[in-house]
Amino acid sequence: MESAAASEPLLRLRKVSKIYEAGAQAVVGLTDVDLDIFPGDFLAVMGPSGSGKSTLMNILGCLDVPTSGAYEIKGGPVSSLSPEALASLRNREIGFIFQVFHLLPRYTAQRNVELPLLYAGVGREERSARALEALRAVGIEDRKDHLSNQLSGGQKQKVAIARALVNRPALLLADEPTGNLDSKSGGELLAILARLNAEGATIVLVTHDLSIARSAKKIVYIIDGRLVTSEKFREMRG
Amino acid sequence: MSPLEFVHVALDSLRTNRLRSALTMLGVIIGVAAVILLVALGQGTKNYVEEQFAGLGANILIVTPGKVETKGGPPIIGAAKHKLTLDDSRILEKKGYLFSGVAPVVFGAAEVRLASRSRNVTVLGVTKEFSDVRNIHVEVGNFVTDSDVEAKRRVCMLGRTVKRELFGNANALGQTVKISGARFRVMGVMERKGVSLGFDIDDIVFIPVRTAMDIFDTDALLEILLSVRNKNDIDSGKELARSLLFKNHNRHEDFTITNQAAMLSSLFTILDTLTYVLGGIAAISLLVGGIGIMNIMLVTVKERTNEIGIRKAVGARDRDILLQFLLESTTLSAAGGIGGMLLGTLGAGIIRIAVPKLPVAIPPWAIVLAFTFSVFVGIFFGVYPARKAAALHPIEALRYE
Repeated sequence: MESAAASEPLLRLRKVSKIYEAGAQAVVGLTDVDLDIFPGDFLAVMGPSGSGKSTLMNILGCLDVPTSGAYEIKGGPVSSLSPEALASLRNREIGFIFQVFHLLPRYTAQRNVELPLLYAGVGREERSARALEALRAVGIEDRKDHLSNQLSGGQKQKVAIARALVNRPALLLADEPTGNLDSKSGGELLAILARLNAEGATIVLVTHDLSIARSAKKIVYIIDGRLVTSEKFREMRG
Repeated sequence: MSPLEFVHVALDSLRTNRLRSALTMLGVIIGVAAVILLVALGQGTKNYVEEQFAGLGANILIVTPGKVETKGGPPIIGAAKHKLTLDDSRILEKKGYLFSGVAPVVFGAAEVRLASRSRNVTVLGVTKEFSDVRNIHVEVGNFVTDSDVEAKRRVCMLGRTVKRELFGNANALGQTVKISGARFRVMGVMERKGVSLGFDIDDIVFIPVRTAMDIFDTDALLEILLSVRNKNDIDSGKELARSLLFKNHNRHEDFTITNQAAMLSSLFTILDTLTYVLGGIAAISLLVGGIGIMNIMLVTVKERTNEIGIRKAVGARDRDILLQFLLESTTLSAAGGIGGMLLGTLGAGIIRIAVPKLPVAIPPWAIVLAFTFSVFVGIFFGVYPARKAAALHPIEALRYE
């Protein structure tokens, strides 16, 4: 991804809209979102709850497809892909970091980190080596044999980052990653993300908290499913 | 994801719910064990009947007096209007070129006495052919001869049980016993034959046929046994006997000819059917076990919705999830199948020890079928829950708590 030309965006969204069918009523999730994310970006998506930032994050993460508009990853269109192909994209190009960690509770830290490699068809030995490498990168290698439900919140989130990193994805997608952490662990976590970004990782951070968004290089604001300028955002937030 | 890793994941999740897995498996274990056990019992019954008829000879025709319209069984004794006589037997012997032996039998019950010991037994009046036709031979001494029959000699051959009861371990040959008050010389002791269908063949006394007619004051035969020389001639032998007797009875068909082999084979067909029916009934319990698997898999899918979401988020395809859950249900049922095989075999072993007379046997096809069916049940009842799991939307699944 480092080799990609700076003018060529890693992700490109054009007039992306998402409408949910909730019973007879259609609920608008996103409206006409244009967004380019370049390799090496550290972007924060800022918005109150219900603003559509989760919808945006799901679409960026290939967990969902837009109702209309174009979404490309590395120049390849995503909107029309089959569930199989989306799964493959999530596996290779996206690393998720969730607010509630989403680790498998009865698996050890190492097996949790190995999970994406399992679905990528990586052999046992290489899987183990790469999982340990990822755990080392977030400084939690010594906890590799702990079951994930024996870990503290901060440790869990580090394991989750290791899992997100392990398949060397194009994009790290963090959804309120500090939401369930104390401020010390939260700070530590943001430091890790900043370091990974400095080492070349592209990161999109979704948050409602401005102080956390400030650790990103760039902030976009979202309200009622539309991307808005910071001035407009402040004005609307009163 | 390699197949081995799927198995690994399946075993992992079964291990986390040990009791639940064991109980679910129990349904299949009981089903498979029931199939194997009931089939073994059916097979055992068949073996038992087969043993009882062994040595009877497959190529025997039995002529009995009286005509019965229903097919298969011999007529009720005494129902005959017209008798079978030694004259019929002679005709069959003279013109029955397909028969290797013709054995007329007179039946009677009498008291056999030696000094103060007595015993009520079945007395059969026979000719020398009887021994070969019915495959019953003397162990010591001689069987009835033609001259014994012609001279109406008062000689007898004792069955094993009769000999033991009257003489104990002493030598019986040449001794005199009283049958219905008349003195008979013991000329032979029969070999041991055992019990056939509740009838003790060793509790019989044989005497020459004409002697028996004198003692019981009758000229009517119980039956005439015909052994057909060539097994393939059973049907033509039956027809030959029918036409000979038909002529001899003034064109009246007042007798019945039964084919022992045909009777047995229809009995075996019934027993086979019984075995299949028993197996089929047991298979229903296997089906119930399958429903148990489906039930528990549905619960499992619900419980692990979040896990499914996580797996999908990190790149599991629908078919990875499908296979994972399908393999889990199949592992459950296959393990249950193996357990059931062991339990069924153990149960059959216990029956064999507890009831030695019933030769229970597990046919290999029953084991293969029961196991295959149990695996099939796991797949069949696992498909629906697995498809449900695979069809979950990753976002919905992740949101599920």
